[in-house]
Amino acid sequence: MPKLALFLILIHFLPFLCTSFSPENPSSRRVLVLLDDLALKSSHSVYFKSLQSRGFELDFKLADDPKIGLQRYGQYLYDGLILFCPTTERFGGSIDLAAILDFVDSGHDLIIAADNNASDLIREIATECGVDFDEDPAAMVIDHTSYAVSETEGDHTLIASDDFIKSNVLLGSEKIEAPVLFQGIGHSLSPANSLVLKVLSASPSAYSANPKSKLSSPPSLTGSAISLVSILQARNNARILISGSLVMFSNRFFRSGVQKAGTPTKHEKSGNEQFLTELSKWVFHERGHLKAVNIQHHKDGEADEPSMYRINDDLVYSVEIYEWSGRSWEPYVADDVQVQFYMMSPYVLKNLSTDKKGRYFTAFKVPDVYGVFQFKVEYQRLGYTSLSLSKQIPVRPYRHNEYERFIPAAYPYYGAAFSMMAGFFIFTAVHLYNK
Amino acid sequence: MAKNLGGFLLLVLAISICEAVSIFQPISDSHRSAALELFTPADGSFGNLEEAYEALRTFEILGIQGKPDISTSSCQSVSETLGSSSSTTNGLFHALKVNRILKCKIDEKIFQGITSRLKAVVNDGNSLLDYYYSIGSLVLIKDQTSGVDVLLGDANGIFHSIKALSQSDGRWRCSSNNPKSSTYAAGLALEALAGVVSLAFSDIDHSLIVTLKNDIVKLFDSLEKYDDGSFYFDEKLVDAHEHQGPLSTTSSVVRGLTAFASVISGSINLPGDKILGLAKFFLGIGIPGNSKDFFNQIDSLACLESNRVYVPLILSLPATVLSLTKKDQLKVKVNTVLGSSAPPLSVKLARAFISGSKDYSVIETQELKFDPENEVHFLDVLPKSIDVGTYSFVFEIVLHDSVDKEVYTTGGQTQVPIFVTGIIKIDNAEIAVLDSDLGSIETQKKLDLAGENAVLLSANHLQKLRLSFQLTTPRGKFFKPHQAFFKLRHETKVEHIFVVGNSGRQFEIILDFLGLVEKFFYLSGRYDIQLTIGDAIMENSVLRAVGRVELDLPQLPEKAPQPPAPLVDPYSRYGPKAEITHIFRTPEKRPPRELSLTFLGLTLLPFVGFLIGLLRLGVNLKNFPTSAVPATFAFLFHIGIAAVLLLYVLFWLKLDLFTTLKTLGFLGAFLMFVGHRILSHLASTSAKLKFA
Repeated sequence: MPKLALFLILIHFLPFLCTSFSPENPSSRRVLVLLDDLALKSSHSVYFKSLQSRGFELDFKLADDPKIGLQRYGQYLYDGLILFCPTTERFGGSIDLAAILDFVDSGHDLIIAADNNASDLIREIATECGVDFDEDPAAMVIDHTSYAVSETEGDHTLIASDDFIKSNVLLGSEKIEAPVLFQGIGHSLSPANSLVLKVLSASPSAYSANPKSKLSSPPSLTGSAISLVSILQARNNARILISGSLVMFSNRFFRSGVQKAGTPTKHEKSGNEQFLTELSKWVFHERGHLKAVNIQHHKDGEADEPSMYRINDDLVYSVEIYEWSGRSWEPYVADDVQVQFYMMSPYVLKNLSTDKKGRYFTAFKVPDVYGVFQFKVEYQRLGYTSLSLSKQIPVRPYRHNEYERFIPAAYPYYGAAFSMMAGFFIFTAVHLYNK
Repeated sequence: MAKNLGGFLLLVLAISICEAVSIFQPISDSHRSAALELFTPADGSFGNLEEAYEALRTFEILGIQGKPDISTSSCQSVSETLGSSSSTTNGLFHALKVNRILKCKIDEKIFQGITSRLKAVVNDGNSLLDYYYSIGSLVLIKDQTSGVDVLLGDANGIFHSIKALSQSDGRWRCSSNNPKSSTYAAGLALEALAGVVSLAFSDIDHSLIVTLKNDIVKLFDSLEKYDDGSFYFDEKLVDAHEHQGPLSTTSSVVRGLTAFASVISGSINLPGDKILGLAKFFLGIGIPGNSKDFFNQIDSLACLESNRVYVPLILSLPATVLSLTKKDQLKVKVNTVLGSSAPPLSVKLARAFISGSKDYSVIETQELKFDPENEVHFLDVLPKSIDVGTYSFVFEIVLHDSVDKEVYTTGGQTQVPIFVTGIIKIDNAEIAVLDSDLGSIETQKKLDLAGENAVLLSANHLQKLRLSFQLTTPRGKFFKPHQAFFKLRHETKVEHIFVVGNSGRQFEIILDFLGLVEKFFYLSGRYDIQLTIGDAIMENSVLRAVGRVELDLPQLPEKAPQPPAPLVDPYSRYGPKAEITHIFRTPEKRPPRELSLTFLGLTLLPFVGFLIGLLRLGVNLKNFPTSAVPATFAFLFHIGIAAVLLLYVLFWLKLDLFTTLKTLGFLGAFLMFVGHRILSHLASTSAKLKFA
């Protein structure tokens, strides 16, 4: 009996145990880490520790563990997934390609690290994310001019790249001084996918080929078209990080010094830790996640929202935008938030001014076109979740009695009519009673 | 399982990049700094004594002096654990281990009390862990105090009961009622048995030792191997709960083996390369990220450093990338696993061959010179026969002292990949436009690939473009790089890449534009020429913009493939859009107010003229009825007309049509009535007048 009671109590807590992505608290907390081997847990521990210290619960599992699953009873057990298992041909349990895509489609985040000899499964997942890895399984990214100088590695597959995307929201406000060490396969971005972005790209002299065999035909991937690390933010704000190198997450690369060939500066520590930690903050929504609340519009001088505007009304529009900082919602400060007054096409598109406390506002005159309009805020900025707000509002023309009444230009007509009337009145009297 | 192994293999490969042949570096300062980072006690003390021991032991092995001081807090918990009668054998074991390093002040009586308890556990123990912890503790007590009698009376019996748990393949079961056996347990058992031997009152039966030695040899048959020559133990059965990774399994066996080898007389018949392989396995892991793995690695290496089977010697190279231009010396270091110096020995460079061709050695065997100051074996100058390229050097360690050969294992020959780099001379670089039919040169330009070039060429589809250059190594030989790309980039960012091939010593690419027009999508215009020459062993890899060529290609035929659409800048989606302001309809043009007022005045003039005219005519109102009733009607009639007119004014000012019409209806009826009365009255009056 006590057992039953305990069970009943526990079952009530079940919903609280399964945290899931929510707009109130967008930071994911539980992350499933799938590994080829549990030894990765120790060799990549610095990266995992940085996640754990930020409050993530990492659940390490072997990729072929038959007990793994992403959801149970229709509830997702995790908020994020890290695939550090480049060679896995098949996942254990209920996880497969479709399950991972569903996981992302429901707004969860994903980190994929591949390597040369990456399995078809990992390649397929990447392809679904708009990233095509070099098809040659033996190919690696080689760069003979911007490799990392090393006394023990001479085949120039250890690349020191500092060609980062320019975005503070992705890489943090602090500049990454040291180049990032990379060793692995390159990928290209699918031209059909406009959501995927290169975060770290190779130098113009790089190419992707098998370092051990002679080249007879031009390699499929060359120059800065090669992406080393890419990100994708889906339309549902799920975030994905794809890297062609697993070893770049390792403690060895995090701690290693780096000197890029041709430059005299030797950095004590590679940029890997900063680069990947900052990116992981982005991936797990600790940065760049926006929410818009309190959308208001009203006529100038009034406070209540009308059900309808008349053409040429002056109106005031305001919205509050906040950014998730990992712990709390902070006011978002930018100067490029725009509102559109939209019917088939924007009639008015205006920058919003901000009070630096999260509130954005502007005032404008309703166009002299009537119909059903929308207030639209389509805020798409690199790295930020996209805001797409729309609010419908009809605009009517003037009513008959709202036009101007006493037009000076018509005074002669009025004058003529009234003098006629006065004349008529006098004339009647004179005509009737004159003798 | 196989996958698991595969994964681990990949990891090790990833960690030590060179695949087939790896260089293992002995423990160095990077391990020391990592140790200080990993073993940081949370607020002054470790969570338990096991962690404290791991930290202390690691610091002890690595010789770290500036370690965090935890002796006070640890000693306190050591004496608490030892003094408490409820502490487990596990707790006692770790407490004693910590005490061995810290040498806390522990009363002799406490030791005595523990010893009797432990002996009781040993005598009626039934699980391997009981034996392991209790015997281990007794050995530790023996080392720490002399006043306590820890010797076991019935050592043979205990030996037997531990041995009874062993399996035929050399592995051990954890207890008699648990059928599962593991390699990890074998390591524990060996350590326990070593303890029994050292605690034995009388000598252990020799036959038991011999069978155990055979067991160890059998256990080593299950050793698994990586391609790079490292050996490790892994569990055959992966049990989710008690799964021990290859690292902890291997380190358990190494601890057991070395402990056992140190207490018995005579040697264990194990091949030296397996011991070396185990050492390579631990070194190949690099720097583990968690403290448990780190401790296992360092502790096992320390066991190997001073074991009685074989002491592995590790050959390492500070640099495997040697520059021919800078005249780098080939340096080789030989150390023990923990980085201490090796016995007198010499290193021979036995063979060297170009990677890929295994049979042909490019040099003769030669001995490396020894620099006793830096403990480095070196080769002054690379032999003349060594040109730039990737080589595999085979080194051999020869121990000077024949006694050392029994103690140390060197693993015979060690193969190391060496990259010899140098500056490649680029000569005779020229670019030319040829006439297709005759092959006569139309324009030819010399190129200096070391500096900037800005060649301007023009060609049509009947001509050819030729680029040629020569590459020679520092030793004057012909060189073929891995990367020799010729790139043409059109203004619209369409790129075409060609691999520059070689014919003999000359690198040459001839682009026949007639055959390429389709590939070029019939795009005429300016093409940027870029040349990339690069190789892993080339120190002066170049990426040069050579110049431009104006191509005049025929018009695009109808069915030809369209050039790919120019790439849209992916960032263009993100910027703010240009502001749009609505352009309002301009109101109709109106005359100025003054003009309207003037015209208002003009429209009023006829009325004024009318009034003046009336006055001029001398109008009067003498015909107004004089009698009361008609006068009232006349008055009402005109009031009515005035009311209608006023209504019109009101209509203009504010009233709407409905109110106006309603009021007008009433007024109309009223007017009709009074109008009829007054008009008929006036008509009859005028008729009377006429009649009169």
